[in-house]
Amino acid sequence: MIEESGSFRDPAGTIFYINDRIFRKINKAGLDRINFLEKENIIEESIKRKYLIQTKILNDDEKNKLNLNISDVILEHIKIPYISYPYEWSFNQLKTAAIFHLDFNLFLLDLGATLIDASAFNIQYIGSKPIFIDTLSIEKYVDGEPWKGHKQFCENFLNPLILKSKKGIKFNNWFKGNLEGIQTDDLDKILSIFDKFSYNIFIHVYLLNKLDQKFASNKSLKPINKKKNFPKKNLILILKQLKRFISKLEDHKSISTWDDYSKNNSYTELEENKKKQIVEEFIKKNNFNLIADLGCNDGEYSELSLKNGCKSVIGFDFDINTIDRAHKKAVIKNLNFLPLFFDASNPSGNIGWNEKERKSFKTRSKFDAILALAFEHHLAIAKNIPLNEVINWLVSLAPTGLIEFVPKNDLTIIKMLELKGDIFPNYTIENFENALSLKSKILSKSKVSDSGRIIYEYKR
Amino acid sequence: MNKIFSLSCIVTLIIFPTKAFAYLDPGTGSIILQAILGFIAATIASISIYWTKFKSLISKLFDKKKENKKP
Repeated sequence: MIEESGSFRDPAGTIFYINDRIFRKINKAGLDRINFLEKENIIEESIKRKYLIQTKILNDDEKNKLNLNISDVILEHIKIPYISYPYEWSFNQLKTAAIFHLDFNLFLLDLGATLIDASAFNIQYIGSKPIFIDTLSIEKYVDGEPWKGHKQFCENFLNPLILKSKKGIKFNNWFKGNLEGIQTDDLDKILSIFDKFSYNIFIHVYLLNKLDQKFASNKSLKPINKKKNFPKKNLILILKQLKRFISKLEDHKSISTWDDYSKNNSYTELEENKKKQIVEEFIKKNNFNLIADLGCNDGEYSELSLKNGCKSVIGFDFDINTIDRAHKKAVIKNLNFLPLFFDASNPSGNIGWNEKERKSFKTRSKFDAILALAFEHHLAIAKNIPLNEVINWLVSLAPTGLIEFVPKNDLTIIKMLELKGDIFPNYTIENFENALSLKSKILSKSKVSDSGRIIYEYKR
Repeated sequence: MNKIFSLSCIVTLIIFPTKAFAYLDPGTGSIILQAILGFIAATIASISIYWTKFKSLISKLFDKKKENKKP
């Protein structure tokens, strides 16, 4: 039994794993909550409406088989292919999650329940679809109570979306630096007076910040607990108004290098078809559950992998615009494909409390295979990472995969070296092959372009 | 202006207090803000109710006049 180090925030329950299965023990503080949810059939209704992750309460037999204490209340959740974090999402992925959160809360209020927090980490993506994973965040709605998650909703969802939409600033690195999200006083300082003309920005950023500042200076420690008087209809109005506002927020996109990469790259149609054929054959002969497409761009090879039998693909790319495009494609085509923002030279690390709360990319990497097509030179040439280190890292991610070698005379590298100069004497095909064969067995190699691009299939 | 603002915040704090027990700190500013938003929403709602009543009264009067004109 392994306890989840990131599930300490709510003392009502604890997540643990047994043989790759996910369980949630309900602690004393959460018993009332879970009894209410069970009695009112809220878990079942939420699952049926595709808001909540598949969840069941274990019976005594099941607990016995797992050597668990019979008197404990234990839930089991289905496993999500890949846990992603809001700082790895694009604008539209966070926007979809924000609207999903508000919709779920409105749905629950209808059933006499509500969400007690608004953490973006409680929403996960299965392919292109968001799902809520924290059953214990649902509790009975007490008439007259305000929305406890409002501040958290602003920091986790609203503020990052406003930051990107109004200022064109990526929220990802900032969010990764502060797991509470984008703080309202920080955002307030960035927004112009014209931005604050918007009713919702004025209220949820400017006014909220002013009120927070006023009451931060209030030194009184006397607890306040008087008559509650916040009608439910007002709460519903606030949620609906926020939903309307967020639905209208548009991404502020700046032009990026890879915007039209899948249409405008250095290989011909014939070469592209060859590449596709290699990927198809590789996927077909294996029975993969989960693969990583590194440098996925708009997900062309991810889609191809799914078509050829792979169950789910997680795409990784440095370019946030292509992630957004790939996500839209996954939504439209209903693909089990989750593209994520990712800087391979600085991947997500173990962060948060005790450096264990949110897991690193490497810790979460349990892929059956990787596709690293036209990828390694972005590390070895653009980021100066020694070629053998790039290969070692790639091979460590999955037991098998395809890695494409791009030679120095390829147009993309010529362009990369234009200003930098050729400072990479060790970047040769011989060194590439040596490094790869030191860490794995090379199963095949196929030339895919006239410039000498070669796709290697390796197996550890 | 500052005094009026502080006074209105204190009044709202008394009317709409925070709940003391929650694992998440909702933030006093957020609770006050919701009270203000609720007030705005309620005001808009009441205005719209009166407006609807006013409109229906006008339309009733208008309809009656029409009916009276009928032979």
